[in-house]
Amino acid sequence: MKISILAAAAALMAGACSAQAANIEFWYGNTGPVETAIKAQCDAFNAAQTQHKVNCVGQGSYEVSMQKAIAAYRAKNHPVLIQFFDAGTLDLMLSNAVVPVQEILPDVKWDSYIAGARAYYETSGGKLFAQPYNASTLLFYTNKTELEKAGITQTPTTWEEVIDAARKLKAGGHACPFVTDGDTWRVLEQFSARHGLPIASKHNGYDGLDAEYVFNTTFVAKHLQNLVDWRKEGLVKLNADTKAGNYTAAFNAGECAMMEGSSGSYAASTKAFDGKYQLTVNMAPMYKGYERHNTLVGGASIYVMKGHDQAQVEGAKAFLDFLRKPEQQMAFTAATGYVPVTNDVLEAINKSGDAKAAKYATAAIGIESMNQPPTADSRGIRLGFYVQFREIFVEETQKAYGGQQTMQVSLDKAKKRGDELLRRFEQTYKGVKLP
Amino acid sequence: MTSESTLFSNRWLPILLVAPFMLLIVLFFYVPIFQAFYWSFFLEQPFGGGSMFVGFDNFARVLSDREFWQAGWRTIIFMVTASSLAVLIPLILAVAADRKIRLSLPARNVLVWPKGVAGASIGVVFAFIFNPFVGILAPLNSISPGIWAPGLDGLDAFITLIAAHVWGGIPFNFVILLAGLQSIPRTMHQAAAMDGAGPWRRIFDVQLPLIMPQLFLTLVLEFTESVTSAFALIDTITKGGPGGATTLLVYKIYVDGFSGYDLSGASTQTAILMVFVILLTAAQFLFLGRRINYER
Repeated sequence: MKISILAAAAALMAGACSAQAANIEFWYGNTGPVETAIKAQCDAFNAAQTQHKVNCVGQGSYEVSMQKAIAAYRAKNHPVLIQFFDAGTLDLMLSNAVVPVQEILPDVKWDSYIAGARAYYETSGGKLFAQPYNASTLLFYTNKTELEKAGITQTPTTWEEVIDAARKLKAGGHACPFVTDGDTWRVLEQFSARHGLPIASKHNGYDGLDAEYVFNTTFVAKHLQNLVDWRKEGLVKLNADTKAGNYTAAFNAGECAMMEGSSGSYAASTKAFDGKYQLTVNMAPMYKGYERHNTLVGGASIYVMKGHDQAQVEGAKAFLDFLRKPEQQMAFTAATGYVPVTNDVLEAINKSGDAKAAKYATAAIGIESMNQPPTADSRGIRLGFYVQFREIFVEETQKAYGGQQTMQVSLDKAKKRGDELLRRFEQTYKGVKLP
Repeated sequence: MTSESTLFSNRWLPILLVAPFMLLIVLFFYVPIFQAFYWSFFLEQPFGGGSMFVGFDNFARVLSDREFWQAGWRTIIFMVTASSLAVLIPLILAVAADRKIRLSLPARNVLVWPKGVAGASIGVVFAFIFNPFVGILAPLNSISPGIWAPGLDGLDAFITLIAAHVWGGIPFNFVILLAGLQSIPRTMHQAAAMDGAGPWRRIFDVQLPLIMPQLFLTLVLEFTESVTSAFALIDTITKGGPGGATTLLVYKIYVDGFSGYDLSGASTQTAILMVFVILLTAAQFLFLGRRINYER
């Protein structure tokens, strides 16, 4: 008798609690202006309602955030919401540690997300696994002032034109015409996607865990060899060649005239250029003779982690709903340069009368770039342990830039090491089907 | 019985006194090590939820991986060059500071200061000092562009690491060696001098043989420490690059485990590295330690 009363009381308490406020935690990895914008959103959420309270914790980088999430999940001390970057998509999908957002929020109009963003994060059944948050894509940045000084009035749109412009800049005494860091996302993933080239078989892993890397046999090998040659010619510079030591810093300081970079660094560039130079952003350059396809959605998305009570999940849902609001997305875009990836936000921007304003410059171009005609190989990347592959790719290609081996040898080695990762991933998740 | 047991009349007291420290060691040393050895026989999913016993498969995979051996060789090269220099340079400084020369007293003081600087901070500072555009070697590049490029040339990056490691190792080794030198009775110097031995002769025939125990200690500690302590420097200066040229085993383990989520592979490499360090130290004691005369 007594026990049943206690049980009833406990049940009542639990019921009462679930309706009550929940304190939820959200982990993110960004720093700088983006972190400021994230914090502003958290504060706005806490101010806008009293039922839930979100505690946003910066972890310093996407990688660190993920490391801590793994440790925390094993210790059952993990946050309910975590932001994670594009490369870890498959690792998280198979982790059994997250719930697909579309499953816990079935009534949201997920179709309003542009196809490019959906394709990257959705299951084979078309359900979104994560809510895109700070979406970005690759853009081509030019320092218009410097280009005009060298007599270039038209912003280059093809690689051939980029290199012509670089030669002119160099002839005019410019020390750093074009800068990149040779990062996997920029030179392999976005390049392959928009040129319609596969990175791995099985449509970059979408059709099964038994995919193999193929990038060493595609046109991207030629492009990377070109980068090596252009660097020898003094047209292309890498991080270590610049005084600033980092490609975006070198571009922002005016040291370099052109760069391929994430839309997410747009805010930092405009701020640095203010009053000194004129900034232009365009879609990333193509090689002549190739049809333009979509660039991939980069940046990061938010996942809901398993193992939390109903009240916490309700809080998480409320926060995700809040972040999806057009005015929130617009403010975030204006503050950072990240691209809003829902159609209703684009409409809202167009209606706002500010559509042509600099703060929304990346939105229009970014969406245009991600909305180019897709191929089966430009949906995204669904390869296991891909975060580690990115590092292997950088390590091997650095050897080619340093002259220790040819680019083809680098790519062949990267493919071999990458395939070993894929086989180990397959073995680690033996018997698991792609969702 | 033995003299130790008479020191404490209560049998539990010594155990109680040691217990807190032992607890920490067990918690933060033996448990993780056990975990690493355990995982090295499993294929472990990053978020848990599924692990599969694979026997010695992980060891076979790691030992047949060229990257592992390359990182291993780099570790050995770093260990030998960096730790010899990290003992040799403090030795020279200690011998100099031991002599009654001007400024030897302030030097003894100043040389201990770097001990208070964390490895990561040393890394940040050295990355700046050896920066090819603004660092001390920048003039080299204005003479011949590209000659000093730690961001592109693996050898330059390796040299930067060694310099930073040696600098960080100076204080501790300096203190130990100087203490050894100072404990040599002055009468020995005087006797040798009376016999006609010059300063150089006295260093090689009197001082060095008499500080062998200290030299041995610093060498053993340096060799074992250089294997792991390079981590903070690599993480702040080179991130293992360029092209993996400074990826020592300890950094590879970190990258594999924490950015590659390869918990099994990282554990296996940890196990191998630990066995290597134990064997190395044992060999040092076996072959070098025996020859050292601790009597004076």
